[in-house]
Amino acid sequence: MRDQDERLIRCFESVFPALTQEEIESASSDSVGVWDSLSSVTLAAVIQEEFNVEIEPDALPDLDSFRAFRDYLSAR
Amino acid sequence: MKLIEALKIVQAPPPAASRRLRLSLLCGFTSLHLQTFLAAHLRSRMPEYALEIKAGLFGDLIGNIERLSSSETDAVAVALEWSDLDPRLGIRRLGGWRPQQLSDIAVSAESAAKRLQHALEAASRDTTTIVSLPTLPLPPAFASRPLQSATQELQLHCIVAQLAESLAGCPGIRLLSPQKLAEISAPSVRYDIKSDLQTGFPYTLGHASAMGELMASLIEDRSPLKGLITDLDDTLWSGIVGEDGVDGISWNLDDHSQMHGVYQQLLSSLAAAGALIGVASKNDARIAAQAFERPDLLLSKEDIFPFEVHWEPKSESIRRILNTWNIAADAVVFIDDTPAEVAEVQAAFPGLTCRLFPKSDPAAIWTLLHELRDLFGKSVVTKEDLLRVRSIRNAAAWRDESGTVQTPSDEFLRSAEARISFDCGRSSADLRAFELVNKTNQFNLNGKRYAEQEWRQFFANPSSFLLTAAYDDKFGALGKVAVLMGTIDAGNVELRTWVMSCRAFSRRIEHQCLRYLFDELGAERVSFEYSPTDRNGPMRDFLTSVAGTSLDTSVTLAKEDFSNRAPQLFHRVEASVHA
Repeated sequence: MRDQDERLIRCFESVFPALTQEEIESASSDSVGVWDSLSSVTLAAVIQEEFNVEIEPDALPDLDSFRAFRDYLSAR
Repeated sequence: MKLIEALKIVQAPPPAASRRLRLSLLCGFTSLHLQTFLAAHLRSRMPEYALEIKAGLFGDLIGNIERLSSSETDAVAVALEWSDLDPRLGIRRLGGWRPQQLSDIAVSAESAAKRLQHALEAASRDTTTIVSLPTLPLPPAFASRPLQSATQELQLHCIVAQLAESLAGCPGIRLLSPQKLAEISAPSVRYDIKSDLQTGFPYTLGHASAMGELMASLIEDRSPLKGLITDLDDTLWSGIVGEDGVDGISWNLDDHSQMHGVYQQLLSSLAAAGALIGVASKNDARIAAQAFERPDLLLSKEDIFPFEVHWEPKSESIRRILNTWNIAADAVVFIDDTPAEVAEVQAAFPGLTCRLFPKSDPAAIWTLLHELRDLFGKSVVTKEDLLRVRSIRNAAAWRDESGTVQTPSDEFLRSAEARISFDCGRSSADLRAFELVNKTNQFNLNGKRYAEQEWRQFFANPSSFLLTAAYDDKFGALGKVAVLMGTIDAGNVELRTWVMSCRAFSRRIEHQCLRYLFDELGAERVSFEYSPTDRNGPMRDFLTSVAGTSLDTSVTLAKEDFSNRAPQLFHRVEASVHA
C-alpha cells in the first residue's frame, strides 16, 4: 500500500509539480486551481501507464482527487 | 520514454541564457501527449534551447498550415493522419463506407492532398518543416477481407505516396521515414481507439513517444560525420590478402563473404555523398594496391584518400589520416575487425567513434551499416560534397609541391594558375554556405553557428550580403571554400561571419576576399565581429597581420591600410552578383 501511495504521489507530482507531498495527498479538482480537464486526462494517462491499468471511461468523472485514485487502484 | 518521465523533463527550467526555439506542432487531432513527448525529446537533444510549442485548431490541419506565419515560428512539425485527408477515414466522423462513398472519399482525399502539398511547400520556404505521413491504420471500410488489399485502399496509399514524393523534393521539408518509425513503434500497437473517442487523441503513449523522438531528431538535424577509416583484411574483404593472395580474398555468396561486398557498397555510396574514406591497414602496400585493381571491387581506389598501408601502429595511421583530412577525431569513424586494434586506436583517440567489424555475424554487420548511414546521412548532397575527396588530394599535392603548409613563395603562388570565383547576393538558399558556416572551426571569425530560421532571417535585411568564394588551380578544384556574411551601409561593411575551409589555407584567398569587399562591394571600412574561440587561432593570426595591431573583440580595417599591408595576389578573379 505504501509503495502504491509513493508511486501515485510521483504521478501527481509530474502533473502538478507545484504541489507539496502533503498538498498532493489532500488534492482534489476543487482544491487545486490548475486541475482542469487537460490535467485530468494527463493524470489518468500517467497513472494508467505507471500502474499498467486501464481506467474505464465511466470511472473517470469520479476520479477527481488523490484519495479517489488511491481507492480506485486499491479496489483493483 | 514514459509519460511521467517526459513530464518531468518538460517541467525542468530551461538553462539561463538559452536560445529560443518556437515550434508549431500541427495535427488534426488534439496534440496532448504528442506535444509533451516532442517537447521532452527536444529538451533532451537540444538542452541549450528554451522551447515554445504552439498547437493549431482541432480538426483543421490544412487550415493550420495555411495560417502559419514564418515570423512567429522557427520550425513546424506536422503529424498527418488519414482523417486529415477525409474525416470519414477516422472514427470521430460518421459518413458511410458504401462503394460510392468510398469513391467520393478518394476524390476528396486527392483534393485535400493537393491543398496540403501547396500549404506545406509554402510553409517550408521560410521554415524548417517536419512531416509525418499517416501512421495509423485505415478503418475496415473496404469490401475485401483485411488481408487482401482493396482498390480504393490502394488509391488512398497512392495519393499519400505521390504527396510524399512531391514533398521530398522540397529542400525545406524533412519527411519522417515510415520504416524507421516501424522499427520503434509497431503498427499494430499505435492506435488507441478509446483515447480517440474520449479525448480526440488517437495515439497510444508508446506511439506518441516514438513520434516525438523521431520528430525531435529531424528538427535537431545534427551534422553528419565527415570521414570513415576502414581496415582491409576481414573487413573491406574476407581473407588476408598477404596470405590468401589477391584472388583468394572474397566478397560473394559462394564464399559466404557477401556482407563484405555489402559493406563495400555502403562505403562507395557514402563516398559519393561526400564522406571521406581512408584506409588504415597493417599490410604489404604493394599487395594491397594490387587488390584494389580487382575489377569486381565495389569501392573504387579513387574514392579513398589517403591509404595508410604499412606495419606501424594503427593509431599512427589514424593520426596521419586526420592530419591529411585536417578534421577532428570526433568527426570520424574507425572500423576494424580486430578488437586489439580497435582498443589501441580508441585509447589514442578517445573522441573517435570506433567500431568492431563483426565479420562472422551478418546481422550485426547489417546493424552496423544502418548505424553508419545514420551517422553520415544528409538531407542534400551538394556540388562540393562530390568534389571533397579530389579537393583533399589536390590540397595534399599543393602541400607536397609547395614544400610547406604555411607560406609558399610568390613564385609558387604565381605558377599555381589559381582562379577565385566570387558569388555575391542575398539568397539564403546556398546550402554549401550554410554548411560551411556551421562546421568550420579554425578560420572562423567568431565561431557563430546559425539555426536555419536565423540564417533566413539574416538575409531578410536589405543591407545584408552573402559572399562566397570558390577556388581552383592547376592542381584541381577545391570548390566553394569561403563564406562572408555581413551588412553594408554607406561604405561601411560590418562582417558578422567569415569562415574558410582549412584546405584553402596558404593561398591568400582570405586577402582576395577582403580586396573584393573593398574594390567590388565598395567598402571603405570593414568592421569584423571578431571573437576568440578555442580553435580560431588562424583567423586571429590573419586579422592581426592585416590590422597591424593586437586584437580585441572589434577590429576595423580601412581600405588604405589593407592596400598597404596586403601581399601580392596572383589569382584570376571572376565575380557574379545577384540581387
